[in-house]
Amino acid sequence: MPVAASAIYFLNLRGDVLINRLYRDDVGGNMVDAFRMHIMQTKELGTCPVRQIGGCSFFYMRISNVYIVIVVSSNANVACAFKFVVEAVALFKSYFGGAFDEDAIRNNFVLIYELLDEIMDFGYPQNLSPEILKLYITQEGVRSPFSSKVPNATLQVTGAVGWRREGLAYKKNEVFLDIVESVNLLMSSKGSVLRCDVTGKILMKCFLSGMPDLKLGLNDKIGLEKESQLKNRPTKRYHGKTIELDDVTFHQCVNLTRFNSEKTVSFVPPDGEFELMKYRITEGVNLPFRVLPTIKELGRTRMEVNVKVKSVFGAKMFALGVVIKIPVPKQTAKTSFQVTSGRAKYNASIDCLVWKIRKFPGQTEPTLSAEIELISTIAEKKSWTRPPIQMEFQVPMFTASGLRVRFLKVWEKSGYNTVEWVRYITKAGSYEVRC
Amino acid sequence: MAPPAQSSRYPSPSQPSGKGEVSDLRLQLRQLAGSRAPGVDDSKRELFKKVISYMTIGIDVSSLFGEMVMCSVTPDIVLKKMCYLYVGNYAKVNPDLALLTINFLQRDCKDQDPMIRGLALRSLSSLRVANLVEYLVGPLGSGLKDNNAYVRTVAVMGAVKLYHISASTCIDADFPATLKHLMLNDSDSQVVVNCLFALQEIWNSESSKSEEATREKEGLISKPFIYYLLNRLREFNEWGQCLVLELVAKYVPSDTNENFDIMNLLEDRLQHANGAVVLATIKVFLQLTLSMADVHQEVYERIKAPLLTLVSSGSPEQSYAVLSHLHLLVMRAPYIFASDYKHFYCQYNEPSYVKKLKLEMLTAVANESNTYEIVTELCEYAANVDVPIARESIRAVGKIALQQYDVNAIVDRLLQFLEMEKDYVTAEALVLVKDLLRKYPQWSHDCIAVVGNISSKNVQEPKAKAALIWMLGEYAQDMDDAPYILESLVENWEEDAPEVRLHLLTAIMKCFFRRPPETQKALGIALAAGVADFHQDVHDRALFYYRLLQYDVSSAERVVNPPKQAVSVFADTQSNEIKDRIFDEFNSLSVVYQKPSYMFTDKDHRGPFEFSDEIGNLTVGVESEHEVPATSVDANETSDLLLSTTEKEETRAMVANGSDYTAPLYDSSSRALPSQGQSELAITSLLGTSDPGPQASMAIDDLLMGLDLTAPPAPASAPPSLKLNARAALDAGSFQRKWRELPVAISQECELSSQGAAALTSAQALLQHMQGNSIQCIASGGQSPNFKFFFFAQKAEEPSVFLVECKINTSTAKAQLNIKAEDQSTSHEFSALFQSALSRFGMS
Repeated sequence: MPVAASAIYFLNLRGDVLINRLYRDDVGGNMVDAFRMHIMQTKELGTCPVRQIGGCSFFYMRISNVYIVIVVSSNANVACAFKFVVEAVALFKSYFGGAFDEDAIRNNFVLIYELLDEIMDFGYPQNLSPEILKLYITQEGVRSPFSSKVPNATLQVTGAVGWRREGLAYKKNEVFLDIVESVNLLMSSKGSVLRCDVTGKILMKCFLSGMPDLKLGLNDKIGLEKESQLKNRPTKRYHGKTIELDDVTFHQCVNLTRFNSEKTVSFVPPDGEFELMKYRITEGVNLPFRVLPTIKELGRTRMEVNVKVKSVFGAKMFALGVVIKIPVPKQTAKTSFQVTSGRAKYNASIDCLVWKIRKFPGQTEPTLSAEIELISTIAEKKSWTRPPIQMEFQVPMFTASGLRVRFLKVWEKSGYNTVEWVRYITKAGSYEVRC
Repeated sequence: MAPPAQSSRYPSPSQPSGKGEVSDLRLQLRQLAGSRAPGVDDSKRELFKKVISYMTIGIDVSSLFGEMVMCSVTPDIVLKKMCYLYVGNYAKVNPDLALLTINFLQRDCKDQDPMIRGLALRSLSSLRVANLVEYLVGPLGSGLKDNNAYVRTVAVMGAVKLYHISASTCIDADFPATLKHLMLNDSDSQVVVNCLFALQEIWNSESSKSEEATREKEGLISKPFIYYLLNRLREFNEWGQCLVLELVAKYVPSDTNENFDIMNLLEDRLQHANGAVVLATIKVFLQLTLSMADVHQEVYERIKAPLLTLVSSGSPEQSYAVLSHLHLLVMRAPYIFASDYKHFYCQYNEPSYVKKLKLEMLTAVANESNTYEIVTELCEYAANVDVPIARESIRAVGKIALQQYDVNAIVDRLLQFLEMEKDYVTAEALVLVKDLLRKYPQWSHDCIAVVGNISSKNVQEPKAKAALIWMLGEYAQDMDDAPYILESLVENWEEDAPEVRLHLLTAIMKCFFRRPPETQKALGIALAAGVADFHQDVHDRALFYYRLLQYDVSSAERVVNPPKQAVSVFADTQSNEIKDRIFDEFNSLSVVYQKPSYMFTDKDHRGPFEFSDEIGNLTVGVESEHEVPATSVDANETSDLLLSTTEKEETRAMVANGSDYTAPLYDSSSRALPSQGQSELAITSLLGTSDPGPQASMAIDDLLMGLDLTAPPAPASAPPSLKLNARAALDAGSFQRKWRELPVAISQECELSSQGAAALTSAQALLQHMQGNSIQCIASGGQSPNFKFFFFAQKAEEPSVFLVECKINTSTAKAQLNIKAEDQSTSHEFSALFQSALSRFGMS
């Protein structure tokens, strides 16, 4: 039995029930109390997202200031349950437009009840696709689509091409592609890369009429090889860097059989915004920043911190919103620093020097040098465990993996012209440098 | 009174019961019910919203039932939905009122709009009122034949709901057959999937009653049906695919070609964006290749990349769910993942539940080529701010040391830990150094030098202290001041945990054999304190040592400190059978909990905090699962029991120490339990061979000068005349049978000591204590403050058993006992014994 959820609860941080839906009778009504008593009010909270209390298992997730709790009484499929919650939240967001939090729930609780009834019946997940649900669950409460002008809605509500409805028409046919990469780094204090990978996703926004067929070409190695094989024209090779994708997953609209045989990404896109694919790369990652810290502990009460950050992407590009968090001991009393770029301050609540650089051009290397005075404490013996330096940034028009879109072709029987927009951005995932 | 608009926006449970508001609402609803003014629907909606928001926060608005139903005659679909929601919520508690709604729901089931038909049918089947099922059968039947797929999907689920309200009605209406027909023929994929959900549920529970259902259930994994589903797989949405794949994993193909066909067909599913689909596919692959070793390994290679991607994407909760599965696979085939160790490095901000799994995986994949990097990384974590993770990582280093051949560098690191001067680091490192020495005695010189420098005052944790004491005793000849450290430890006898006291006794004995003149005084004090100790095990061990020494010092040495071999393999905590079971339940909770499902769900449907009187509903003998094999092993080894009892028992303790750090049940009384029985045995046989009394040697007299033993040695409660068998065994089935057959002999209430009530934080604690008193537990359950136990005990000489049902409320410190006995004449004696055992709980 994949998931037969017995109940789902939405709680605020105090533990008040915002919304609850009991799908089955096999759990008691006091399940929230159990959750509050055994998880929310103990140190347990946050230690493990799956807990067993009594005979029931609780899966919970915190999303902004709301806890979503699924209660099951059998040996359920955990991955499925969490995925369901994530998808449900995405669905709610697409209805409220934006934030999902306590206020949004309170303001839309009738709608959420309606949706909860549609997306899960008797504990089994049903259709969660926003495109389809929006056809017949609307905040305005218009009469259902079956009787009105969209004749084929029945098939779409439950049907095979679950992600796109027919009869769409746009004046201007546009496609937006966003390649968003987050680069994860763990560097040792000696400057060697311990672990480094890139997880990327291609987000797509489609405003296309009719039932278009799309084909996407990337500069990945396997795809290129396959392509030159098929065309049997080894001369016309793609020049430039090719990259190796460790693993790819696709939105359900992508024809996986075709990807496996021809290595091309072809699909009929859903209308609006969706995540086309996700990928992961571990080899040949271009790190946008190098961090070179030196931290000296001068006696018991003084420390010297020097951090140099080097941007190693093209000089014409720049990074935005760069934040470097340099940890300092708890007993920090006074700090003084100089920076060659941006602004820095000491944040006592997270025990860090926070150095912010709004716009960080490529091929530069600003530095921060700080002197820190510490309060001498009695428990002197304990040496300070140095947490890693953490970095946040966004680099537009740069991909740490080197991934590029080579082409995006759109076919539609009416043969209209489309405008394609492609953007690249690289963000910091967990970018940590030990010091 | 708060303005209603405000309160509906921010209602909170602390607000008044809402009596005033409810009657206010009733008035307004009444006014609107008959009105046909324009815009009336909007004001109705506002009112309905208010009613539902009250309902959500727990205010009882069931008194508005009549008015709500009156207002529900409307074409407005949102209003209808809110009304359905309201009705569904209160129908169960107000079955009479529910009858009012049947009429309009039935009418809506015939509406021309399929949306309304579907919604009404769903509400009708969600009423959950048993005596209304007759009204449900008709609409369901026509719903299943509806020409609209939406209505059919709803009707299918309705059929299962009906089955749960009244199974016989559902079967009599022949719904399963209809569902089966739909499942095989419907053009709509969601209808097919729902049918599958429904039929699985129905046939699963029917199969215990009817053979036909069993056949049908098996039919679900027959070749034609599986092929039918596989061919339509791509039509189904992601959840449907999960379900189908789950079913395919149960299918056994007839030959290998078929195997490969299925795998080729499903390979693209590994690229699916939904992690649950990927996991389900992986399960199919793993199950299909179980009997093909080489392909099975290839599967591991193939699924590595998708799994690692899933782990690194999505929310922490999702990646935890995937990581648990990766963990399982890594544990099964560490060598396949050896080159991917860097993926298991922890990030600073990761939640600790993720880190913990990663640490275990790092430990498992360590081999000759990557040990250096892994241990270096683990040492970074030892300084982590998160103390439990720091501890885990030190243990991980130790575990790697125990599984490697080249331990040079690792030993150095462990010794560095000892010098880090953080309490918990020292404590963990001590335990590890002790285990390491048991496996590699050749390292004793290096280790002892460092261990000798540790002040025993800085070591507080019982486990670490016990480890230190063990080393002091074991290497007494190499550490100059060992006797004096031990002596100083004896002085604080009272403050230490029983576990430490036990180790202290043994260590002093060992030290005494090597350096008698220096240790004599400490031994005297320790034995005196031990004999006077109120902890049963400490008392018994001290007395045992005392008599042993009285008998003959050299025999005593042979018993307490025989030459021993280095431990080559530390016992694994989980049996292979359990691991295989978990593997079979891949992609479910079992993997996350790391225990097979029967351990946490006995029946599919079980109330959370209520105890059913049937024992089968309680968590059956988790305890006996673990303990019984252990004791039976001991029984097999009674032949060499005499000479190695202490050591063996200690080994087991170490095993528990060394390999299962997380086990919360680690408690001195549980592991000392078999030794108690055994040591008594040893004493009697020793005493039996010769009469020790008058022949006590001078040395011992000398030694025990300071020891006043004129008083009777056992100050504990008078020994009961009833003797219980320490190794009684009874399986759950026969327990249940006996429980049914026997009348209640004694039913009474007794009190727990306040310490006992405080110590009873989990059922486990009491089980171990009672086992120490030869009373076994067969089932237990409950949450603080209410616990319930089923115990049994057996007479020592005859097979007659006692059964006890014991309900304990820790907040009142009261226990309610129901005792049944095969031999009624001794039931009072047993009751006294049981109560005295219970009252001693928590006193140690």
